[in-house]
Amino acid sequence: MKNVLTIIKKEFVRFFTDRRMVLMIFLPGILIYAIYSLMGNFMSEMGQPDIDKDYVPTAYIIGLPEGLSVEGVFKIKSYENSEAAKTDIYDSKLDIMVVFPADFKENYAGETKPEVKVYYNSASAQSAFGYSVAIALLNELNAFKINSDVSEKFDLVNSESLAADILSMIIPMLMFSLLASSCMAVAPESIAGEKERGTMATLLITPVKRAEIVLGKIISLSCFAMLSGFSSFIGVILSLPKLSGGVFNLSSMSYGVGDYFMLFGLIISIVLAMISVFSVLSTLAKNVKEASMFITPLMIVIIVLGMCTTFIKSSSVAIHLIPFLGSGLAMSGILSAAASPVGVALAIISNLVFTAALTVLMAFMFKNENIMLKK
Amino acid sequence: MEEILKVDNLTKSFKQSKKLFKPEKNGGVKVAVNNLSFSAYKGEIFGLLGPNGAGKTTTLRMLATLIKPDSGNATINGKSIVSDKEAVRRSIGFLTSELKLDETFTPEYLFNFFADLYGVETNVRNARKTQLFSKFGINEFAGQKLGNLSTGMKQKVSLVVSIAHDPEFIIFDEPTNGLDVLTGKVVTDFLQELRAEGKTIILSTHIFSLVEKLCDRVGILIDGKLAAIDSLKNLTQEKNLEDTFFGLYESVTGEKV
Ligand SMILES: Nc1ncnc2c1ncn2[C@@H]1O[C@H](COP(=O)(O)OP(=O)(O)OP(=O)(O)O)[C@@H](O)[C@H]1O
Ligand SMILES: [Mg+2]
Repeated sequence: MKNVLTIIKKEFVRFFTDRRMVLMIFLPGILIYAIYSLMGNFMSEMGQPDIDKDYVPTAYIIGLPEGLSVEGVFKIKSYENSEAAKTDIYDSKLDIMVVFPADFKENYAGETKPEVKVYYNSASAQSAFGYSVAIALLNELNAFKINSDVSEKFDLVNSESLAADILSMIIPMLMFSLLASSCMAVAPESIAGEKERGTMATLLITPVKRAEIVLGKIISLSCFAMLSGFSSFIGVILSLPKLSGGVFNLSSMSYGVGDYFMLFGLIISIVLAMISVFSVLSTLAKNVKEASMFITPLMIVIIVLGMCTTFIKSSSVAIHLIPFLGSGLAMSGILSAAASPVGVALAIISNLVFTAALTVLMAFMFKNENIMLKK
Repeated sequence: MEEILKVDNLTKSFKQSKKLFKPEKNGGVKVAVNNLSFSAYKGEIFGLLGPNGAGKTTTLRMLATLIKPDSGNATINGKSIVSDKEAVRRSIGFLTSELKLDETFTPEYLFNFFADLYGVETNVRNARKTQLFSKFGINEFAGQKLGNLSTGMKQKVSLVVSIAHDPEFIIFDEPTNGLDVLTGKVVTDFLQELRAEGKTIILSTHIFSLVEKLCDRVGILIDGKLAAIDSLKNLTQEKNLEDTFFGLYESVTGEKV
């Protein structure tokens, strides 16, 4: 274990004395932020038609308490039942539906605030406007809990809407390509590069166990790629409000702490999986150039898998176990606020198992003179 | 005499790459080292003398556990290079131009790094570093990146780093290759000092004068086989080393030199 630390330390010293490498860490985050912010601005201009200043949103209200008036604020429509109203919200024919509880009178001014449900469609500017008006009104009364039931979906956004597609497709793709390029920047250099420069053989004649060398490499390379992944992650967090503020109503598309945790864990596991595949390929290659040649096609596959997520409507949650494809699905799930925690967990577990298997494989490869001393 | 190295029927062949493939010759397999057996004793410098392609480097790489023999075995200090690699690695120092040091590090860092990997205690390590660095004039450059140093200085650093753990057995492939006469002398002087300290050294070369200057015993390697093995004194009794070598070469290969 001491040797693993010695090797990790050496990798860190080498990495952080190389300015190019340090730049590789922070560039992806900055790029993501710049690209997403631009995209957000662009999409808000494109996708959000201005609504009239005196537009009156349409609303279907169930159980409006006596004494409350919405005259002039909403144009009231009536429906047979709430399902018909939901369908119209979904199709952008109705802006919002407000449901007051039947037991409202008993609970009013009581200990527990009664719950009011407000259904809307964040992809429609009119509906989003109507939603914000309703929320403002209800908040002013300060007598209700609004949409507090986390298990229910109040945003009846059409999931096939262009905006949702763009978000859930572009982010995994961009994220995957940035992470993959960070891994690509460190793995061949550190493994195939050492073989090429003849420093790997120097390490191999020391009594250090081959598994310790491999572990030291994978851990330190993952740290570098994770730093880069973390910078991408920060970039995403900083730019999401801009993105969602553009296409979606900010308040409707906000992410919970749990979402960020899932995203963070997922990114770390993706980085580990990518580093281990790239490391295996770099071990097979005799020099950096060959390693890049091996990795490039794989990188394209990975990015395409990250993109495929919109076209694959998974019927089974087990699809999350497929390396990279599953991670892409999990990521787009989190970003479209429709993540299944089980799916995310499966994707993370699959990545970790994948990494462990490849680490073992690599330790065996390090014992093979034909692989390690290939000229 | 205490036997430190015992080589026992060591054999290694390589598949020739397609470009070099000559179908008429052994189906594309090159026997680089062929049933090699010899011993080296404590406190001596043993020289493997042979022409290009004789199998010197291949033999030394097997002894250093960098590659595995196809068959046969060798023991260093009683430890097998096949079944007890880690113990062998711990007790040897291997120096060859094939093993490089990362040029982005300083000599100081590299010495510490490798000594640590060999498990040398910090105070022992530091004392040894001070001693070796001043002996080879590295002190002045200890904090500079290796890449910025001259070839001779790099070579000295490589030498010092390879013996950071004070090995009992030192394997040296072509010790003076690519060195100018001054650095070459520093290296050969040091090998003699190591012998005086009781270390055992095996080196390979194709330079007769180096063998005559340094070696106690010599194995003449031709085409993967030992054509002769004896003390330098016996080998040079009747004729000089060069003539002995050419005589052997002609009788082994049937080629007129
Ligand atoms: N990895 C390898 N793959 C294929 N053939 C090899 C390999 N290593 C050595 N050989 C072949 O084995 C033979 C012996 O090579 P070796 O390097 O041991 O010779 P040497 O005595 O060190 O020669 P030199 O004086 O040129 O260093 C040569 O014919 C060489 O081409
Ligand atoms: Mg050689």
